[in-house]
Amino acid sequence: MENLAVEVSHKWGMVIDQDLCSGCQTCVVACAMENNVSFVGEKDASYGRVMHWLRVERFWVGEYPDVRATPFAPVLCQQCGHAPCESVCPVFASVHSRSQQINVQVYNRCVGTRYCANNCPYQARVFNWRDFSRPDPLSNQLNPEVTVRRRGIMEKCTFCVQRILRAEDLARSESRVVADGEVVPACAQACPTGAIVFGRLDDPNSLVSKMARDGRGVHFLEELGTLPSVTYLKGGSSYGYTG
Amino acid sequence: MPETKTLMALFEDIDPAADAVDQLRLMGVGNDQMNIISGIPVAEAMLGRPRQWSNVPRLALGGAVAGMLIGLFLVIGTPSLYPVLVGNQPLIPVPPSVIVIFEMTMLGLLVSTFLGVFLDSYFPSYTPKEYVPEISDGKIAVLFTCPVDQQAQFIDAMTKLGAQSVKPAEAVKL
Amino acid sequence: MGILAKFLQRTPSEEIDDPRQHLMLDPRPRGEMNAMVMESMHTTSWKFWVVAAILSLIVMVCLLGVWGYLIAEGLGVAGVNRPSYWGIFLVNTVFWIGISHAGTFVSALLRVFKAEFRRPFTRAAELMTTFGLVQAGLSIFMHMGRVWVTYWLVPYPNERGLWPNFHSPLAWDFLAISTYLLASTMYLFQPLIPDLAMARDRSTGWRKSFYRILALGFRGTEGEWTHLRTAMNIFAFAILPVMFSVHTIVSWDFAAATRPGWSSTIFGPYFVVGALHSGVAAVAIVLVIVRSTMKNMKYFIRPEHFNAIGKLMLVISMGWAYFFFNDYLVQWYGGDKFTHILLEWHEAGPVNWIWLLMLVCNVVVPWLFLWNKKIRSNPWAIFVIGLLINVGMWCERYVIIPLSLTINRMPFTWRLYKPGVEIPLSIGTLAFFALLYMIASRLVPLVPVWEVQEGQMAHGLRKVGKAVVPSVSELE
Repeated sequence: MENLAVEVSHKWGMVIDQDLCSGCQTCVVACAMENNVSFVGEKDASYGRVMHWLRVERFWVGEYPDVRATPFAPVLCQQCGHAPCESVCPVFASVHSRSQQINVQVYNRCVGTRYCANNCPYQARVFNWRDFSRPDPLSNQLNPEVTVRRRGIMEKCTFCVQRILRAEDLARSESRVVADGEVVPACAQACPTGAIVFGRLDDPNSLVSKMARDGRGVHFLEELGTLPSVTYLKGGSSYGYTG
Repeated sequence: MPETKTLMALFEDIDPAADAVDQLRLMGVGNDQMNIISGIPVAEAMLGRPRQWSNVPRLALGGAVAGMLIGLFLVIGTPSLYPVLVGNQPLIPVPPSVIVIFEMTMLGLLVSTFLGVFLDSYFPSYTPKEYVPEISDGKIAVLFTCPVDQQAQFIDAMTKLGAQSVKPAEAVKL
Repeated sequence: MGILAKFLQRTPSEEIDDPRQHLMLDPRPRGEMNAMVMESMHTTSWKFWVVAAILSLIVMVCLLGVWGYLIAEGLGVAGVNRPSYWGIFLVNTVFWIGISHAGTFVSALLRVFKAEFRRPFTRAAELMTTFGLVQAGLSIFMHMGRVWVTYWLVPYPNERGLWPNFHSPLAWDFLAISTYLLASTMYLFQPLIPDLAMARDRSTGWRKSFYRILALGFRGTEGEWTHLRTAMNIFAFAILPVMFSVHTIVSWDFAAATRPGWSSTIFGPYFVVGALHSGVAAVAIVLVIVRSTMKNMKYFIRPEHFNAIGKLMLVISMGWAYFFFNDYLVQWYGGDKFTHILLEWHEAGPVNWIWLLMLVCNVVVPWLFLWNKKIRSNPWAIFVIGLLINVGMWCERYVIIPLSLTINRMPFTWRLYKPGVEIPLSIGTLAFFALLYMIASRLVPLVPVWEVQEGQMAHGLRKVGKAVVPSVSELE
């Protein structure tokens, strides 16, 4: 079955600068608003059932009085090149997109075995444990470009694929290439410090490619060979040389 | 053609039954005019009968091949029909294919063995056939056809060898 | 010291035991044995109906009612969360598949090795296989997020041209468990046909029609026996690789994942031996109950059988300990940081009593008691030990699934698993298993009488020198 729409093939990626991240969690909120993420309530949230597609991790290290926080780490789906979640789904609900080079979750195919979530080393996936309601007028907040998910379905960060597709469609209709900075996912758009940068990793001149080549760049759990598309810049109190 | 009758001689044990089979052969009853019905499997060698052949092993092998073909379709055919890329594995990976092909082969083998028994034994068959309930109580029945006019001699011979009863075989509803 | 001495002491009289203690050396006419088995099926006391009523109530409330609630509300009412996406439902699935391996082990493996003591209880074990697999299937369906579209795992041609993903261990699971369920049901049915014919001959009324239809018109002709025996031989040999592959594939659900504590290469044989461990113990439990509640069963199931099963339980327990230690040592010695934290958490964490209970029940109890013949031959001792082994094996699966899932490579997500509706649903599956078995005990002749008679025919007493010893002939 030929993929009719693939003329362009980009590799979308992200860079998150942990030295700039203030841990404000605006990215978390913006993502929830953009992607119709459900509110689970206090009880479920305290039991590890939050539905947020990204979380900001922070640990305390050291003994009192020398306690300090580790740099904030917004963890989201790393859109792995070799995604462990893809091969274990028995119904092909988690597949690799050839045109965007990201991992795609097919909501209406998901049967809810949750094997993909078990196999994700970043624990980046969330599951709809119940049907969550949005009483009026909260339902007005829903984004019409994103599916609303029911109970029993797995979901995760999509790199705001609806925005990517919109930009690619617009560019194709105007017979041009998607410009650098034209696609801005909700988290990057909302971040007040500009810590999240998004763009095409296959274009060596894009901002995200340049930042990914920064000497401070690390990949989480690199030893697992998942080839994540997200690079974290972490220098802490001392900086490595820049490119 | 002289008229023949089917008689059933019921024996308690294997030894008298084996003697009876020998005696019947001496009296002119061929091997394919005899049949043994028993409550436990009595090996043909114990009664001096020719070996029975069964189609079940051949059917089993055929089923195994069919299963293997189904397995091959599942692992090679379905990804070729609708290719979907999943992380870090080729479209038709070898180790998962081995597993699926193995399971389908075994399924084919076992299902065809089971159905082979039905096929070979003409199961299920509820038409009336020669039988007496004592057989399931462990008796061995020797069914044979003999000419009608010699019936009395046969009955006599069987009884002398220890048959509990020698009667015309009736087709009972099973 | 005194108790030890008493157990070790053997008087000369105990050396020469009465051969008629053994079922195979204590033959009775086939007609009498048939009557005993039929009587045990027909004799139903009021106690049976009370227990059946209670079990039915439990099944209706805990299984059907609570499951309906689970489907309507979603998995939020269960205890699964991040990071323990799999919990007691998977534990139960693995547990029941493990129990079901016992039937195949007793029927097929012991038949292949010509272990004559298997004869009276192969059918009781095979029934456990079928009913255990039913519970495993139910538990799998319970854990699905959208159980109403679970049929998408079946490879069938459809309009959208979609097929299941055979890269996934769950797809292998589906094929393997379906194969095993079909195979073990067929293997249960084949040796049952002659006994159904016997039951047909000795029944009246609705029972007669029931057995008549199921007996397929079997008479016992040479041809029918040959076909049946050939098929049973093929089955006995072929179902063994299937049995090994099924639980290995189930273990690969865990081993193929990239979790610390899960991606261990020993999981395949470890799970198979674990399945046999809980399975054989479950056979013992079922046999004790059958023997003590059903009429005439004391003739067929004797202390010698519990002795043999007890020996098996001990050997399998040693096998399990070997695989457990292998898995543990390799992780302890060369595991990464998270594997070490996991092991520490198992042994010394907030729920370490589960890990300890597992070791006590699986290893300490069998090793302390099962080496002694007197204890092994005592049905109630075997019952208690079997029960403890099953508790231990359930704990082992609990340690492997929700507990190991808690410790992953992202410490920010670590959170303890607390079961919710899984508890009533587990009780429901247990009750359903017992109920199915009780119904089967009224309808299916539990002892394969023709096999017992065959065995009795093959056994005799022989004089070797001055001793009189049992001897077995090969009648096939």
